[in-house]
Amino acid sequence: MKKNILVVDDSESIRELVGNSLENAGYFVLKGINGKDGVEVLRNFDDNVSLIITDLFMPEMDGIDLIREVRKDSIYKFVPILMLTTESQAEKKLEGKKAGATGWMVKPFEEGKLLRIVKKVIG
Amino acid sequence: MENLHNIYLEEAEDLFSKIEESLLLLEKAPDDSSLIAEVFRSMHTLKGSSSMYGSNKVADFVHNLETIYDKVRGREIDLSQPIIEATFKSLDHLKKIVESPDIPDPIDAKYHEKLTAEILGLLDESEGTDKITTQVQGTKRKTFLISFTPDKDIFTNGTKPILLIDELTDLGTSQVFSYMEKGLSSKKYDPKKCYTSWDILLVADEDENPIKDVFIFVEETSKISVTKVFDGNLLSLPEFTSQLPPVDLNGNRLTLKTVKSFISKIPKKVLEMQEEENEIMEIDVTEEVAVEETQKTQGSEESITSIRVASDKLDELMNQVSELVTTQAGLSMYSENNFDPVLNAIADNVEKLSRQLRDIAFEMTLIQISNLFRRFNRVTRDISNQLGKAVKFVTEGGETELDKKIIDSLSDPLMHLIRNSLDHGIESREERIKTGKPEKGTIKLSSYYSGAKVYIQIEDDGRGIDAEKIREKAITNRLISKDDKLSEKEIFDLIFVPGFSLAKSVTDISGRGVGMDVVKKNILDIRGDISVESKMGQGTKITLGLPLTLSVIDGLLVKVQSTSFIVPLVDIKKCFEIKREELSNDFNELIKLEDDKIPYLDLRKEFLIKDEDVPAKVSIILLENESNRIAVCVDSIVGEYQAVLKPVGKYYRNQEFVSGATILGDGSIALVLDAYKIIARKIVKQKKSA
Repeated sequence: MKKNILVVDDSESIRELVGNSLENAGYFVLKGINGKDGVEVLRNFDDNVSLIITDLFMPEMDGIDLIREVRKDSIYKFVPILMLTTESQAEKKLEGKKAGATGWMVKPFEEGKLLRIVKKVIG
Repeated sequence: MENLHNIYLEEAEDLFSKIEESLLLLEKAPDDSSLIAEVFRSMHTLKGSSSMYGSNKVADFVHNLETIYDKVRGREIDLSQPIIEATFKSLDHLKKIVESPDIPDPIDAKYHEKLTAEILGLLDESEGTDKITTQVQGTKRKTFLISFTPDKDIFTNGTKPILLIDELTDLGTSQVFSYMEKGLSSKKYDPKKCYTSWDILLVADEDENPIKDVFIFVEETSKISVTKVFDGNLLSLPEFTSQLPPVDLNGNRLTLKTVKSFISKIPKKVLEMQEEENEIMEIDVTEEVAVEETQKTQGSEESITSIRVASDKLDELMNQVSELVTTQAGLSMYSENNFDPVLNAIADNVEKLSRQLRDIAFEMTLIQISNLFRRFNRVTRDISNQLGKAVKFVTEGGETELDKKIIDSLSDPLMHLIRNSLDHGIESREERIKTGKPEKGTIKLSSYYSGAKVYIQIEDDGRGIDAEKIREKAITNRLISKDDKLSEKEIFDLIFVPGFSLAKSVTDISGRGVGMDVVKKNILDIRGDISVESKMGQGTKITLGLPLTLSVIDGLLVKVQSTSFIVPLVDIKKCFEIKREELSNDFNELIKLEDDKIPYLDLRKEFLIKDEDVPAKVSIILLENESNRIAVCVDSIVGEYQAVLKPVGKYYRNQEFVSGATILGDGSIALVLDAYKIIARKIVKQKKSA
């Protein structure tokens, strides 16, 4: 069975880039355009998601709030969540971890690194 | 990739205009924090995507701008007119350089430098330069002792410690020891917490850093130490390994001190030899790899990638695996009830192994549906020729994989549906030309996954089904009365009623009495469902929803008194708990849930279970298929359960709700309920009484 991954980023180009790489690697990818949309996509999906990858700065609802919201849902209490960060966001990284994120990925990254990290958290 | 790059350019364009818009507004209201945040966010997004698309110059340039706005946002500096000016200039420049990020034009390049300097000047303090550290890595084998004590709450941020151990052991040869917290009673045990720590001896070529990197996501919360204990491979020395404790450590951590004391007991000579060997090995290894590689290339031409196996052997394998899964469930249950760490570990292992074995066995019984689709290609051609119709046959999603048994039993129903489409759906050439449709009709056979199901669709662009005609026919056949108001969907469902055929004359191709009712029965037999959509003059679409496999279902284990039932998880919408009085108040067998009245089925009543110790609360399981909902009442919900489906004996053949039975871990039997049949019957009953 394909594993489902939710990718949330307000940048379409990043969504597509990350989505494409994951799809080529055999995952099923769902996409959200901001935190709020991501949560909605998750709630309307009739299957479980194995991993959530989220950007931090987004309009409507940012990544940290997305993580908090997701962790409230009993189904997603223990699902891995990766943050997409830039090199300068050390504090944000900590805030995200406190909110319940599993790990992070610093932009820019190439496909190989993305897949390695994904594998690291979902096996 | 080309396509993705275009998305990036379009997005950059969007962001530029967004920033410009906000800046213009900011000129009038420089304190508007939401506008500043907006500019910052847009710049951040632009930086992120530029760096991902390889435009580092753009990314660096935007980074500086972003830093300014970060400071503005943090009220460290004010948004001054010079900053706004510089931003506008930068935007114009950026528009140019996103298209050609290498900045080939020397004039542009100069301007780029000038602007960068200007922006850096605006920043109070320039960024510190990155320290570049180079490390010379040795390639000698080393033995490390790694101790990993996870934070107890490590699961709550989605970390799976076992994956980290896997990653670590992939780095080289290893010996993993685990330590479980002492004095843990089953009462105190909280499954959401991690009570295990690990000590690992790892032999690798790496330095300490790549090993530490494995723990990068957990280093702040967990205790991790990585220590090199020996230059060389300790695990290859029997003098060392014979001293090692058992993998569960007998309740004591493997400390650095212990390992050092083990090393000190190894004769010096052996140690020296090992160090020398280490050097020789390096050369050996490279040679070995080379040899292996040549073997690989030679072998790949001749090696056999697949073998044929008789399908009854596969069936036998599946049967045995199913038995194994059942037995394992018994073992797991026993070990859970008897808290014994060793037994637990064994049971967990058996569970893991049998799960893997089951998955592999399943995969072996899956075949691509294209095998089946291909068969219809020829049939369509022959029949359309026979009928004098021009038909294009298209297939899609042939790579979808399904249980062989399901594919086998799909052949007849699909054949019937395709014949129907060809015979009744697609019009004659003349008729198609008259109605302005392309001369050639199209029949599309497609397949796709969605959720835990596989869908197969047969779609034609023919004349469609006349709902009015079906209604009339149903009235003459006394299936419905004149005043019945039916939705279009309900009307279409009538074609599945036995003996209902719309064909005016019996042709060779279809309409020989073997009707849609048989198709439906065949599909229901493999736990599937069928639905029809049709538009007059435009075509018909028939959708089959099928389970991935017949032999195992994910279900919810529920109880009424001491009797267990399994409800398939795919059909469950929600679970509730209500007071029993709320049920008995209603003669119509309806309960109110979320402002909606829903028909219910009390399993206690249906299965004539004695009314002893009736609990005050009832658990309600809400089943849903397409548009119909029904509630099933049980005493309690035990939890999710993977049921290996066994057929029930012939005495049960005519019962209405049960699709099979399964043996639970404790050896008792649970009936597997058929949600589709329950809903269908209840809805009919409801209609009759209404």
